[in-house]
Amino acid sequence: MKLELGNFFVQDIVFGAQTAYVEGILTINKEEALAVVKEDEHITEADLVIVKPGDMVRLVPVKEAIEPRHRIGGGPIFPGVTGDLMQAGNGRTLALKDCSVLVVGQHWGGFQDGLIDMGGEGAKYTYYSQLKNIVLVADTDEEFERYEQQKKNRALRWAGMRLAEYIGSCVKDMEPETVETYELAPVTKRTAEENALPNVVLVLQPQSQMEELGYNDLLYGWDCNRMVPTFMHPNEVIDGAMISGSFMPCSSKWSTYDFQNFPMIKRLYQEHGKTINFLGVIMSNLNVALEQKNRAALFVAQMAKSLGADAAVVAEEGYGNPDADFIACIVALEDAGVKTVGLTNECTGRDGASQPLVALDEKANAIVSCGNVSEMIILPPMETVIGELQSLARDGLSGGWNHDAILGSSVREDGSIIMENNAMFCGDQVVGWSTKTMVEF
Amino acid sequence: MKKAILYLNQFFGQIGGEELADHAPEIREGLVGPAMELQKQLGDDVQVTHTIICGDNFMGSRTQEALDTILSFLEDKEFDIFFAGPAFRAGRYGSACGNICKTVKEKFNVPVITSMNDENPGVEMFKKEMYIFKGGASAAAMRKDVAAMAKFGLKILNSEELKSADEEGYYGRGVRSQIWMESPVPATDRVIDMLLKKVQGQPFKSELPIPPSDLIPIAPAIGLGDLSKLHIAVVTSGGIVPVGNPDRIQSASATKWGKYHIADKYDLIGGEYQTIHAGFDPAAANADPDVIVPLDALRAYEKEGKIGGIHPYFYSTVGTGTTQAEAARMGREIAAELLAAGIKAAILVST
Repeated sequence: MKLELGNFFVQDIVFGAQTAYVEGILTINKEEALAVVKEDEHITEADLVIVKPGDMVRLVPVKEAIEPRHRIGGGPIFPGVTGDLMQAGNGRTLALKDCSVLVVGQHWGGFQDGLIDMGGEGAKYTYYSQLKNIVLVADTDEEFERYEQQKKNRALRWAGMRLAEYIGSCVKDMEPETVETYELAPVTKRTAEENALPNVVLVLQPQSQMEELGYNDLLYGWDCNRMVPTFMHPNEVIDGAMISGSFMPCSSKWSTYDFQNFPMIKRLYQEHGKTINFLGVIMSNLNVALEQKNRAALFVAQMAKSLGADAAVVAEEGYGNPDADFIACIVALEDAGVKTVGLTNECTGRDGASQPLVALDEKANAIVSCGNVSEMIILPPMETVIGELQSLARDGLSGGWNHDAILGSSVREDGSIIMENNAMFCGDQVVGWSTKTMVEF
Repeated sequence: MKKAILYLNQFFGQIGGEELADHAPEIREGLVGPAMELQKQLGDDVQVTHTIICGDNFMGSRTQEALDTILSFLEDKEFDIFFAGPAFRAGRYGSACGNICKTVKEKFNVPVITSMNDENPGVEMFKKEMYIFKGGASAAAMRKDVAAMAKFGLKILNSEELKSADEEGYYGRGVRSQIWMESPVPATDRVIDMLLKKVQGQPFKSELPIPPSDLIPIAPAIGLGDLSKLHIAVVTSGGIVPVGNPDRIQSASATKWGKYHIADKYDLIGGEYQTIHAGFDPAAANADPDVIVPLDALRAYEKEGKIGGIHPYFYSTVGTGTTQAEAARMGREIAAELLAAGIKAAILVST
């Protein structure tokens, strides 16, 4: 499987008469773009705003991030989700780099939504403050979940994906500025040099905790709760086979942009043929029932063993209940003789002294830790808020609260906020960007 | 000018050796023994105003009396920070430093700093509760150990950024927090580095050292005959509360629990009770709260004589995102109530 990602490096984004990309400047016809958003009649109100690194802007509740892309030769950028099923990971896909489509609720947030500060001291808490972002702020008529803490956010998330496809299509006839090539020979057809290196699999545990359909990550449009682990080509993951869900506390979440750019996959590719033989991805999940966790761990260990893996990297999209899957998977791999490194974040509580993962095992002796969901963050008021600031407190965002006897509300009268890192949009960057780590004090 | 007070034992307080270990606590104005070195290391901005001296045996055998006496010395003193030791490898002295630091911290809420050698049993006893610097084995390390305590004390007093336990040189207190690395290395590079070392059998350092497991065995099973005599309590982390959540238990990362009277109830009715748990789909539990607090089934068992009765309250909190430490504390508090009520069997319903 061979994938070419053709890159266009966006230096600035402006609104204008015609949606086009010219010499680093991405121009968006707002009216046309909003028409794409409103193709879904459930979108009742919508606006677009452009935000850039350093802008004194606070975005909340942020629901999703997507990289604008276009698939050469036709086909949706998210097969089985925004269009018909087709194989992802082959051929050429064009990408507008250094920018994302951010989807923000005009009023209502939920457990899974997050916050982004584009400037000021809060900017360091998320990856997305470094990007130029096209922000879709919208509301829907999804009355059944308007006041629910857990929201599927379907209309908004799909609107974001349509918008990303629409924007991405403006480069469809252009030659990319750079091309990255991702190619792996079939596992049994590798060169002698490749075969002589340690064989490594990447095990991904995307979010799948909700029994009801509509909240979990999707694999080619298929709910990850309804699958057992399966072997995938890494190209599929970075070419739109996976989309993010709408369930996990936000700092632990992997956005669709995160899947499209998965740094751990790209890093393993870099090492391929030099220090490791990158076999591919075992796509697992994070279901809640113990039997399902154990079944997933069995599948993963068997697949790794059958593929001849000497080593594995396991990454979990979540904390709390999913820690049980994470540790069970590492233990199963170690028991199968596969040397394993875990990639996760921690939850050490208000005093920092709580057990960092819900489940622990001494076999999980190699873990890279990307952050702490419990970290308390206080940020000053921001000049501009896109969305609705009160949602952080009112709507049960995982890192916000309406009332606390000592701390008061997450949203203070002057517009300053106090929150747990938990609600920072994809803040712990467990996909691999994180330059945070955890230390003992 | 910031003020400091130092605690010493009879030996370093220049009273005498083992034969004077029963020396009762005393407080002196000014500097005795190691206090002079501490003053020198702290410099001109901090004054060591008093030295407290107490015999190791006195502190060991009449601990409460010693602590009370010392607290009474301190009541009318102004001080911003409290030091004890260094205690090196002296076990009784280490324990004394730990005890007095813990008490002073609790009573006066000032930073407390001590220093011990890693073989001093005081380290294991007190490291979670205070800064204990990694000290030398004997008084030969006095200057170095005092310097480490003083340097860190100045950082606290000047509100400087405090680094990790390893970097500062004290024993980790079990408190984990996120930091941005000084030379940023993305997680991807850290994974590859660790992976290659692990594969090649080279030493590597996990960023999450796994602490020794802390499992509590489940109590032995109760025989059916015994069950018919016992009152059963229900405890849940599933967030069932009376509608309106009177105790304002948090929907995630809970720090509170509630108890709700059910002696006059035969069934938990949707609309009267609800779940406030944010970590699962609440539809089934809101429609029939008995799926989490199975009062209807227990009443049936009670009627059939399978169980002796039902505790008049059920206990509830929320498990999602709730830290292990908070969960353990709430568990202990609820268990204490149940034990006081003579309850010997409980159903713990998770979700």
